[in-house]
Amino acid sequence: MATTKLGFIIQRAGYKCENPKLALTHSIASQSVEVYLNDGDLVTADIAFVGDGVLNCLKNQKAMERYGLTSTESHIKNGLLLDLNILVCKEDLEMLGLSEKDIVMDAEEFGADMTTKVVPFADITKMMEQVNHLLFF
Amino acid sequence: MGKLTIGCFSSLVGSMSLDFAVKLAGAAVEKGHKVDFWVSGNATMLSIKGQRAFKDYSALQKPLQELMGKGLTITACEACAEARGYHKDITMEGFKRHSMDWYLASTFDADRVLHIGGE
Amino acid sequence: MKLAVFVSDYRLNVDTLDRLKAEKLGIILVQNGVYHATVKEKGAASPLLGKSANYYALIDDLETRGLGNADIDGNVKVVGYGDIVDLIFNEYDKTAWL
Repeated sequence: MATTKLGFIIQRAGYKCENPKLALTHSIASQSVEVYLNDGDLVTADIAFVGDGVLNCLKNQKAMERYGLTSTESHIKNGLLLDLNILVCKEDLEMLGLSEKDIVMDAEEFGADMTTKVVPFADITKMMEQVNHLLFF
Repeated sequence: MGKLTIGCFSSLVGSMSLDFAVKLAGAAVEKGHKVDFWVSGNATMLSIKGQRAFKDYSALQKPLQELMGKGLTITACEACAEARGYHKDITMEGFKRHSMDWYLASTFDADRVLHIGGE
Repeated sequence: MKLAVFVSDYRLNVDTLDRLKAEKLGIILVQNGVYHATVKEKGAASPLLGKSANYYALIDDLETRGLGNADIDGNVKVVGYGDIVDLIFNEYDKTAWL
């Protein structure tokens, strides 16, 4: 039994660029990876939003209403529902004039227990040190 | 020898990131490493067969097929490909198609992962 | 961690690289990132070259852009694809592509 830990670092804003969405959908795929692995083996995904990437976390995205596309907000909520560890850089939020009240902090309506964690970049550095591999989006 | 998993999300034509990734994969294969190669997003364009080699555009079908002959495993994100109209019947021979969990599974026993994001 | 960062652009949109911390840092200049090894804006080397890191630049991407050994900053080692494979397997344990 072994676990490989992946760190998904999202540093770009979404929609014009597919990276943030693909980061979230690939990290969510960690929940079904067992079909390829031996019993007890796992791949886990931690996600960190940094730089302009924190803009992906804004609430009230209406991508479905305007373009018929699943919003990044919905993907984040799905991630929380699946108990993914989602970190948002505190300094970058503040730099952009944002705070916890502006971003997706939970997915209570889906019954998710996990919440978004707004943390100093130093905590994101620790996460990057703890994972086996880094994937920058 | 080790295992290298490369993920690339950039399109075949436009950024040359796939050129980089294929050349790096080739160098790793030549050194005896096992290489898994995952393409997702716009990079699924690489999976289409019948690419015509013009000198103004990246053309990777030939080197890729040579690398597959030397043991490279390459897989495209099926949903990303289908969303772009890249169906199975126009997929290059030897190019696999799976869901995104294939990429994560490949990282499980990889010694190194190089993830090249999209444009 | 021992981190090899691939820098693929000359103008980075984010300051991620400045914030990455590693006990051993390698910066591998590829694609348009190789300009960091050669361009001297207002006579000064790229600030990116001022870090405590080992620097490498991919010869294929230098030559593609009309650059050669004579243009390269003294801190930067010119490497090929095979060298990069050896670097990421033998010198570093994680990679990041920026």
